[in-house]
Amino acid sequence: MSESCKDNENPLDIDGSNFNSEMYLECLLKCATLRQVMDKEAEVVTQSQFLQSEMQTLVYENYNKFISATETVRKMRSDFQIMQEEMNKLSENINNITEFSSKISDNLKESGNNVNRLCSTRQLLDKLQFVFLLPTQLNKAIEENRYVDAVHDYTHAQRVLQKYGNQPSFQSIQTECSEIICDLKKTLRERLLTPDTSASELAESVGLLRQLQETDSSLQDIFLTCAENRLEQHLKNLCGIIENVDILEWVEKCNNTLLADLGIVISCYHDIFQDSENANLPEFADKITTQVFHLFEEVVKKPENIGTEILIRGLDKFFRKLQAMSEIISSDTVSNKAQDVVIQCIDHKATMQYQLIQTQFKENLMRVRQSLASKGSETVDLKDILNSLQIHLMQKVQASLLDLMAFLQNKLSFGLKPWCGKAVADACWTVISETLKNLSDMVKDMASMQTSNNIPFELLLILAKLCLEIQENGVTTLHSHLLKLLEESAPGLTVKDKDTNSVMVHLSTAAQAALDSEVVFIGQMAAQMLRVSVLARDWLRAPEPRGPRAVCRRVVETLASADTAASQLFPTSIKPSSDSSRRTIWSRAPSSFSPINRIFSERIEVFSPAGADRAALSNGALKVALKALVECVRLRTFSRHGLQQLQVDVHFLQQRLSCMGNDERLLNALLEDALASAQLRCVDPQLMEPSIVDIICERG
Amino acid sequence: MEEGNSIIYGLEHQTRALSPQYGENDAIRFLIGTQSLKPNTNQVHVVELEEDTGALHTKVFKHDIGEIWHLRCSPHDAATLMTVHNAYDHDTCQCAMGVSIFRLPTIEVIPKDLDDLSAMQNRNAEDMELLKTITPEKPEEEIRCAEWHPSDANRVGIVLDNCVSIRDTSTGAHVGGVAPGGRTRLKLTAGKWSPQGQSQFAVLQDTHIKCFDTRTDCSKPAWSIDSAHRQLARDMDFNPNRQFHLASAGDDAALNIWDYRHGKEAIFSRTDHSHWVWTVRYNTYHEQLLLTGSSDARALLTAAASVCDADDDARRLSQVLEDGVLQSYEQHEDSVYCAEWSAAEPWTFASLSYDARLVLSRVPRHFKYKILL
Repeated sequence: MSESCKDNENPLDIDGSNFNSEMYLECLLKCATLRQVMDKEAEVVTQSQFLQSEMQTLVYENYNKFISATETVRKMRSDFQIMQEEMNKLSENINNITEFSSKISDNLKESGNNVNRLCSTRQLLDKLQFVFLLPTQLNKAIEENRYVDAVHDYTHAQRVLQKYGNQPSFQSIQTECSEIICDLKKTLRERLLTPDTSASELAESVGLLRQLQETDSSLQDIFLTCAENRLEQHLKNLCGIIENVDILEWVEKCNNTLLADLGIVISCYHDIFQDSENANLPEFADKITTQVFHLFEEVVKKPENIGTEILIRGLDKFFRKLQAMSEIISSDTVSNKAQDVVIQCIDHKATMQYQLIQTQFKENLMRVRQSLASKGSETVDLKDILNSLQIHLMQKVQASLLDLMAFLQNKLSFGLKPWCGKAVADACWTVISETLKNLSDMVKDMASMQTSNNIPFELLLILAKLCLEIQENGVTTLHSHLLKLLEESAPGLTVKDKDTNSVMVHLSTAAQAALDSEVVFIGQMAAQMLRVSVLARDWLRAPEPRGPRAVCRRVVETLASADTAASQLFPTSIKPSSDSSRRTIWSRAPSSFSPINRIFSERIEVFSPAGADRAALSNGALKVALKALVECVRLRTFSRHGLQQLQVDVHFLQQRLSCMGNDERLLNALLEDALASAQLRCVDPQLMEPSIVDIICERG
Repeated sequence: MEEGNSIIYGLEHQTRALSPQYGENDAIRFLIGTQSLKPNTNQVHVVELEEDTGALHTKVFKHDIGEIWHLRCSPHDAATLMTVHNAYDHDTCQCAMGVSIFRLPTIEVIPKDLDDLSAMQNRNAEDMELLKTITPEKPEEEIRCAEWHPSDANRVGIVLDNCVSIRDTSTGAHVGGVAPGGRTRLKLTAGKWSPQGQSQFAVLQDTHIKCFDTRTDCSKPAWSIDSAHRQLARDMDFNPNRQFHLASAGDDAALNIWDYRHGKEAIFSRTDHSHWVWTVRYNTYHEQLLLTGSSDARALLTAAASVCDADDDARRLSQVLEDGVLQSYEQHEDSVYCAEWSAAEPWTFASLSYDARLVLSRVPRHFKYKILL
């Protein structure tokens, strides 16, 4: 078996499809024995016979089947004939049915049409009735103020009316309707224009008008003008109450009326004209807010509203409202402007502060001036005055800085904003620098107009010292004070590098101007006395000297009083022991007046800047006075007694003035010059004995 | 006289009077009057600067009539000069002032030959011809100065301490006058003819400047600048080229320039001196240059280009020349009471100090070029 399986393709397999009978036979003949061949032959014969009979059975069977099929076919043929007949009958019947049904439908058609016509007529009649009733409906609705219904009805009917408007019967209705609608429009517009309609009514009216096919832009205009009118009314009211109410009340009122309405107007506008561009709105809002800001500025400037607390609270409320508004308006300008308003407030406050400080300082100064003028001959403690002026000024500035810090409180809506911090810091510095600059300018003014305006020289000294003190300490003190305050109220906030130098320069130039002015003032006062006394006297007919002339005492008194005043305020440099002051200046030969002497002495600058030092101030005044004496002596002609009188005068001056100033050489040089000039101008130049001069001076 | 170097000429007595020789167009000549109370010691020195060599030549004339307070050369005749003098009379123990007009025998100063030279080296004072002496009506009246009329050679204006008297030079007669009233009776300091008006005479009265028309009764000034200086006004000078402009100087150490049609505020003001300014002079050729002398012993050359800017030429000038002091001349050691530009040469000037030192100087060359080029 396994062999046969293996040789499936074996051409020798008798049952295989590749069976080759020749080869099989050949192979069989070759390898099988005769017997085997004989057996094989018998086997093949039997097998062939079996196969023969099996084939016959099969043929029979098939034949039978064919016969029965033929019979069936025949039977079927006769059946189909019957069927055919029945089918024919059916189709005939169907045809009949169709015929009948079409007859029926023909009959029903007419009545159906009639029904349809009736229905449409009814609808039309309904509409017509609506249209005919429209005027009365409208009137009724309008009478009952149901404008919305009226407009709704009208818009429904409008199309019909437009379509059949040319028919005479509709024409009257249309005219009537349009008249009514015109009236309605008019009423609506009137309602828009009446100031006491509320903003929502306004919006409703505009919505209705819009449905009534008013063009958008004109509606926008109308809406905005109406809104503006109403807001104007508010503005007017607000403007009117500025005088009567304080800032809190004002802001309250403003928030509740004007700004609230503005908010409604703007949101309504957005609702109604969503699709259109918002071209007009920002402009409109700007216009209104600008006016509001102007009013607010006025309110802020009102003197009653200067209190910081109330101002800040008002400002805070206002700013909050504006912030909210800026969200509604959604334009940057409002919020920017709101910031500006706060900054302006701060600046305004600062300006008020330093102006106040200045006025107060001026008042103080006026008091000081009066007390100095009325003091007579008593001495006043200038140091006290200086201290009180300085402390007062510093305190005022510090107080106003503290006041400004209130703008930085946490609870305020703008308190912690960086821009606010910066504005406050700037404002604080402005207060400091402006105060000091004003001070400098005032001092400079006083120094320059001093000839016409009789300002006591003590005041000039005080002011000079004040300027110097503030320049040295005050500026830095205030600056660091400001930094400290800022650090406390808004940590992290720094003042940008402020220009302390320019302030200091201002102060020091002012101080210098005041000192120069004081020196020239004192010097000129003495110079004027000497000039008048020298020019008015007839030196040719002078009597023999009996003592120094009275004018010399007055000159000495003037210079001495200035010197004492200066000593109170300016450090006294230690004077070298003044033995040499007893030295008489004519110990040199009287003919010593020659250019040679001058070569060895320094040039004397008479009107030169004065140092901030008692001795320097006195020196300055001495120079001015004595140089004038020299120049005036040279314009006169002296007799012998005249010369001797001058000699006594000069000696007296030398004795009394040598304790002032620290430059004895200067004093001596000038006095020497005066005497030498007098000698030159003398027709009989004979001087007195120094000892006699001494005696006369002491006796006098 | 090279750049920056000045020539110094010393005299024996104190001096307060200096005048350029106005009538001379070629030679740089100045006249100086001395001031000494000793009798018969006063002199008039004629100083000429030889431009080519830089040499200084002088001639001395006697002035025995008294000490000279003021000296003016005639603009009409180079040889004629006028002095204001003062003399002490021992008998009456009084001083008497007067105005005298002299004529120099010759205006030549530079010696022509050796004889001349030796005569000059002897320095013998020569005589001048006295033409006329005019005395004030009251002998004790003080005379401040005397000024030649700019066009009428026979007229002089004499400024006394409270009035101005116009005199005829040939007869000495009083032909007109100015007596500024006012309750205060402030004294006059100096005065000058106005170059424009011919008959207008301007005076300095205390701190004010007033100009009177001598043809009127002089009750009201033709124009005035009140409080021109904060202290006494000492001197003034009219702008030679620009009508209505004048410069003034005073005890407030200031130099002010005014347009006297608008006398409220000075159009130019500087305070560069450190004491009273006694004299101010416009340069005759270049109005931008001003010369001042002060008792701080300095003469200052100041530029005022900005106020000379009306015409195109000068506008250019103000761009190259800054306002302010161009140069300070410090060769003096005493008060400078007089400073004068030469009448013949635009860049040379003289300053005279009380200690009898005349300094002849020049405008520094670079400024000169700036102005010229």
